[in-house]
Amino acid sequence: MNLRPHHFILWGLFIAGMFLMPELVGKGTLRTMIFACYLAMFAISWDILSGRTGYISFGHPFLIGIGAYTTGILTRRYGFPVEASIPIAVLVTMAGGLIVLLPALRIKGSYFALVTLAVMELMYQLVPVVRPDLTGGTRGISRLPALTRGAENGYYLAVGLMLAVALMAWLLMRTRVGTALWAIGMNEESVRGSGLSTTRLKSFAFLVSAGVAGMAGAFYAHYLGTITPRAFFDINVLFQIIVAVLIGGAGTIVGPIIGAFFMVFLLEWLRPYLPGQERFFVYGLIALVIYMYQPRGIMAIVEGAWTRLRGARS
Amino acid sequence: MMQIIIQGMLLSGLYALIAMGFMLIFSIGRTLNLAYGAYIMVGGYIYFWLSQQLGMPKIVGFGGAVAVGALMGLLKHRLIVKPLKGDPVAVEISTLILAVIMQSAMVLAFGDASKILLPLIPGVVTVAGAQVTYNILAATIMSWVIILALYAFVRGTHTGRAMQAVSMDEKGAAISGVDPDRINMITWAISGGLGAAGGVFFASYTQLSPSMWVAPVIISVAIVIVGGIGSIIGTLIVAHIIGFLEITVVAVLAPELRGVFTMVLIIGVLIMRPQGLFGREEH
Repeated sequence: MNLRPHHFILWGLFIAGMFLMPELVGKGTLRTMIFACYLAMFAISWDILSGRTGYISFGHPFLIGIGAYTTGILTRRYGFPVEASIPIAVLVTMAGGLIVLLPALRIKGSYFALVTLAVMELMYQLVPVVRPDLTGGTRGISRLPALTRGAENGYYLAVGLMLAVALMAWLLMRTRVGTALWAIGMNEESVRGSGLSTTRLKSFAFLVSAGVAGMAGAFYAHYLGTITPRAFFDINVLFQIIVAVLIGGAGTIVGPIIGAFFMVFLLEWLRPYLPGQERFFVYGLIALVIYMYQPRGIMAIVEGAWTRLRGARS
Repeated sequence: MMQIIIQGMLLSGLYALIAMGFMLIFSIGRTLNLAYGAYIMVGGYIYFWLSQQLGMPKIVGFGGAVAVGALMGLLKHRLIVKPLKGDPVAVEISTLILAVIMQSAMVLAFGDASKILLPLIPGVVTVAGAQVTYNILAATIMSWVIILALYAFVRGTHTGRAMQAVSMDEKGAAISGVDPDRINMITWAISGGLGAAGGVFFASYTQLSPSMWVAPVIISVAIVIVGGIGSIIGTLIVAHIIGFLEITVVAVLAPELRGVFTMVLIIGVLIMRPQGLFGREEH
């Protein structure tokens, strides 16, 4: 991707707009946006691994859940301060993800997806049963220490984190490693043929992805204040993450962010009409139609429309 | 002991049936059809709706469930799998989206709370000291009848053999005068019907809820992969391994650990021996 001045201008406007938001909208909208920011981080994390390399992970809720539970257990059961528990949560997520999923990188395609899905389901069944004194069983852990007070500060924290994660992902993708990850998604054999260790590359992508997921999960847990197995190790969480990436545009930085905001706000608008899980019916249909029409997401649709518009003018 | 053996046989028959329908699709396209879970769930709900809410005879409810399942399989193939042809990732993801759509559709239509299905056939019989409900006995017997019929169909009829041919090599099958498109459609329809039938039994074995599909789908995928793709016998054997494993865990250790060992087994086998225990080598 060539950088043009207008890219920087657009990003500048976007960031300024994000930080001005608390002046413009109410507390309720702000809370929705906080959720969207966290979802965007999960989505970026998924995209680093799956959007680039084509290894579809159905196990991201598992990583996010590890991050959330680690910090939850450390702060609530062992009295760790948040400053220590969140970095530990990130490390634990990376280690846990590596132990469980590194062997899974040997297998491909549907098998990889299935192993990650099975790991998520395993966690869902294990967490309530093993050491319920630590995990709180099916009722989870509540009253996690809050990091910020009030919706505005929570919002600034979430936006700041999201932008940091996006910047990190962007920088990573501009390196040779980023290019190699792309190449794996296109043709893994030829990457190996050019003398690169695909296992090492994939493990690296996985580690970064797990680190981001763990961090986002830990902060999200402190924002929510309560964590339960159903809120993390669930197929609907997985669905939200993957759909956010896909309708935004996989393999881009802005895509997952757009997708996450689109998704969260659409769900919010649907809330008055359909209160519960039914919203996913409308949402899923929209997602499916967008995906079938343009698998590369809203980004590609907008780009296509823009090119056509310019073509028509000249 | 007797209890474990009998319960294990019963559960395994059920798993074998559910896995069978999944196996048909997986052996053709190698696609992880997560929407298969939707057939299971929708089958259970259609049966519930027809036989318990509308009060129709049970056999009508069952037939309706199978018909709707088959129709869903057909539509899925026509509207989603065919347009996305050649892209397994896209199919996988679209099936995940579809599964969630169907799940929320069921919430929309029937509500979030789980429902108890009335037994297919009421009553209890004692076999060798073990209590067995007629319901689960009937489900198992019907599962076996369906499995044997399927086996006879795949092995004995022209269409069945064509299905096998397409699953081994689509181009080769086309050259020998088989229309892969037609065979694909038949396979998707049969798979949908089997899923819905399995769903009715499974729902009557456990309970009916919008999220009931995740565990059976993982189990059936695993049975198929562990058993070896395209091997009906392998599928049967592994269904019994997993069925007995679950029953033993429930009886000996603790009911909450039921799914844990299954998942560990699946993950272990997939990582160590991705081609499965009885399957042909994949490239």
